Amino acid sequence: MKRIAFRLCLLLAAAVFARGGSLVLDVREHVLPNGMKILMVPRPGVPRVVCHVYYKVGSINERPGITGIAHLHEHMMFKGTRVMGVTDFERNDEINRKIDEVMNRLYRERFWKPDGGDAEKLAAWQKEYEELVKAEKPLIIKDDLWTVYMKNGGTGLNASTGNETTGYYVTLPSNKVELQMLLESDRMMNAYYREFYSEKDVVMEERRLSENRPGFLFGEQVNASFYAASPYSWQVLGWMDDLKKITRSDIKKFHDTYYVPNNCVAVYVGDFNPERIIALAETYFGRIPRAADVEPIRTYEPPQDAEKRLYGEGPAPTSLQLMFHTPPDGHADTAPLQVLATVLGSGGFGGGFMGRGGGGGGSGRLWKLLVRDKQMAVNASAFSRPQWYAGAFQFSAMPRLDKSVSLEDLEKEIWAEIENIKKDGVTVEELQAAKNRRESNFLRGLQSPMGLTSSIGRAELNRGWRALITDLEDIRKVTNDDIKGVAARYFVKDNGLAAVYRRKMGR
Amino acid sequence: MKKTCALFSLLVFLTAGAVFGQVEKPSDLKFPELKYDPPAPNSMRTVFASGLRGFVQEDRRLPLVNVTALIDFGRLYDPADKVGLAELLGASLIKGGTKTRTGSEIEDRLDFLGGSLSFFSPGERISTLSLSVMSKDLDDGLALFFDVLMNPEFREDAVRLEKARLIEGLRQANDQPAAILSREYERVLYGDHPLTRRPTRKSYEGLTVPDLKSCHGRFFFPRDIVLAVSGDFSKAALKKKIDRIIAPWKNRPSDIPKLSRDFPPVEPGVYFIQRPISQGYISLGHLGLEDTHPDYHAVQVMNFILGGGSFTSRITTKVRSDEGLAYNTGSRFAYRWGFPGTFSGYVQTKSSTVGYAVSLILKEFKRIRTEPVTDEELDTAVNYYLESFADNFQTVQATTLSFANLELAGKPLDYYARYRDRIKAVTRDKVLEAARTYIHPDQAAIMIVGDWEPCNKGGEKFPGPLDKFGKVRKIALIDPLTGEPVKAP
Repeated sequence: MKRIAFRLCLLLAAAVFARGGSLVLDVREHVLPNGMKILMVPRPGVPRVVCHVYYKVGSINERPGITGIAHLHEHMMFKGTRVMGVTDFERNDEINRKIDEVMNRLYRERFWKPDGGDAEKLAAWQKEYEELVKAEKPLIIKDDLWTVYMKNGGTGLNASTGNETTGYYVTLPSNKVELQMLLESDRMMNAYYREFYSEKDVVMEERRLSENRPGFLFGEQVNASFYAASPYSWQVLGWMDDLKKITRSDIKKFHDTYYVPNNCVAVYVGDFNPERIIALAETYFGRIPRAADVEPIRTYEPPQDAEKRLYGEGPAPTSLQLMFHTPPDGHADTAPLQVLATVLGSGGFGGGFMGRGGGGGGSGRLWKLLVRDKQMAVNASAFSRPQWYAGAFQFSAMPRLDKSVSLEDLEKEIWAEIENIKKDGVTVEELQAAKNRRESNFLRGLQSPMGLTSSIGRAELNRGWRALITDLEDIRKVTNDDIKGVAARYFVKDNGLAAVYRRKMGR
Repeated sequence: MKKTCALFSLLVFLTAGAVFGQVEKPSDLKFPELKYDPPAPNSMRTVFASGLRGFVQEDRRLPLVNVTALIDFGRLYDPADKVGLAELLGASLIKGGTKTRTGSEIEDRLDFLGGSLSFFSPGERISTLSLSVMSKDLDDGLALFFDVLMNPEFREDAVRLEKARLIEGLRQANDQPAAILSREYERVLYGDHPLTRRPTRKSYEGLTVPDLKSCHGRFFFPRDIVLAVSGDFSKAALKKKIDRIIAPWKNRPSDIPKLSRDFPPVEPGVYFIQRPISQGYISLGHLGLEDTHPDYHAVQVMNFILGGGSFTSRITTKVRSDEGLAYNTGSRFAYRWGFPGTFSGYVQTKSSTVGYAVSLILKEFKRIRTEPVTDEELDTAVNYYLESFADNFQTVQATTLSFANLELAGKPLDYYARYRDRIKAVTRDKVLEAARTYIHPDQAAIMIVGDWEPCNKGGEKFPGPLDKFGKVRKIALIDPLTGEPVKAP
């Protein structure tokens, strides 16, 4: 197969893949004096610009007591600033100081006292709080930022919090990028966390929504059991107890630590002139002072040294998961693990079983073996998650209940296949097909302006956006010995967890 | 503060050769004018051999080609005694192989090329077969794509396996409260109709390979299919290639079933489905309209203000932002081809606030019917649609697909060219009229999936019982395997 040649042009910071001499991906880079990075991919044509801002902060930056704060904070970033969403800031600030004061009293009573506090006092303070909220209402311009973006043709308006990064998204007409610069720099420097306590209720509703999804609670326990020390052990949503007790001053502290220009990248993809974007960024983001650098997280996952098994039953489909610890993203073993996951669980034929269950596609080795040939499973897949500080490799399968296949049978089959791979690796065709697929998937990702923006932004915050290209080069170099090596190193019982889940009948 | 700004402006001037006065508030911003004309569908419209229509656009920026066939086919056309036929056809079209290739041969070849081929039924009467390959593999890809589209063989072993997987999948049909809600809400609004029929183990088991073949023969022929093709190719060469492949493909008289458009009247009130969960999942409303109706644009603008415009809309502001009752709430008009769609307000909220959330949504339904919206609300909605218009054409692939969808549904091709004028023509009066015509809180079916006791008890701001909203009917949950009500545990 003809290879696509990638080459790096460092001078203009352009990743170029050459095909008949035409430029396909051209990332322009600019660093503001305060350390904030601006990345641009001009795509002339349709007059829209995808504008994303990513912060290097997520749930892994939390600690017990404030789990869920990264996501809660993301919600608060939509509740106005000192400039946006308020008619009279001074008066509003006065009320909020009183709200903080009464809620601090209320929280100390409710959460610090072992008996849950004095009910009478709590009711009085709750009433006081509600009065203050009522007084604040006329000063608030509801969802100001959202309205301004939308009436200016903003689409894809959203934000998301992950384990490692938090992103703020909007796509605007190409004559209105300045609006994004104004609003996003305002959010960074003038954040105010208005209506904090009612927004916490929304986030708790969001958590309840997840809890009602069959299998969520078990999945949360699996994750928590898999990691003994690493902050990947809790979900982005956080624990309900922490959500209840997080205060507005926790949020402020969190913001001041992580929402600083030197912990942030803005990415623009679309129809624009880069010089103008740079000038606007200097004006708007450039006005924010650099802050203290953020220390990377300290706690990596220690070696496990004993097999873990977790059994559960409940309202979700009967299923088996085998999870193994793997090295953080960027390790030499990352590429072979990715290739192996593609060989075992690759597909794209129907997007997994009934649209669920991930990459249980029709041409992966596990699918062929367990679904097609042995007819023991409804679906079977493998997935490699190269996270920044602690990787994971996961096998998943759902048994054919109509054929009375047990989870133990499936587990034995998967282990037999693992042993085969340790011994023989994969076939020449499988290896090449997996490489081809990763390469073409990468290209497909470039088709979508939003997908491209997000890949560049997230990659930049970890090992730099050029890793998108070098990772692909690493994938090409993977050999069958590499595959056998990673299987032998990581797929061992005392490096993993088996999660065995049965649907409880009658629900 | 001012000093720093001046300094930065100077820096900007020196480095970028332009001065930008930094403003504090969005209202101070002045934007240069932007003119945009949408691409013309006729420049992409192509008629291939045998009357196969398509929208074809070269896009040479990446070495990829995307081909999608839109087919007027889906579960809506399942005969009453063969429910599940479209689902099974979709699952085994590729895996069942063709006259000359097994399903595994097709998948392995595409896998080796790093390509993808997939079949979906995004609507009940539109299905798609989509191919994506590197442009160097276009010939291989097209051969496989049309082989699957024209000559599927539905081999027995593959069909048997897919049937078993679909039946296993039925076990999961009641897992998600949201899936139960949308299924049962439609069942109440449309009654017993092909739109609401669902397969069971028995109906799947009765399906045969000859059923699949005759179904394919009935719906898959060139005149009833529209292609969307974009990517790295020469249009003239592509047309030649496709014409050559499809030359033997025969047309037949169109045989789209005529289906009833009469739906039984719906009794307003509460429809409750018991699930042991901590929230109530709620949809409330009634049937809506078709998107070909002249009122469509006014309805879109009206619903944007009511509950479709995310945080700028009334329901979201009230239920989520003001009261913190829900993460997910709003209203929507769903559209379906050839039938009126549905209108619904929706919310998921903890059991004790179910009644309160419903009362707030009903209040907004009534308000938008009685008082005109403000100029500001209208402006936000209209500007949103006008200013975000170009988003429809952000990728060449999306553009060809949009046009192909118009063509398949027989909608005028100048739909997009006229879209902005139609949105501009919406006034406050038209919004009011649209609300009065299409929103009827007194006729609303209020469907709730949740835990009866706490939902009915309510909370401080809205103590129950739920029959304050009208007659309460408890709906038995259907066991998807049998189609019969689930026996109480």
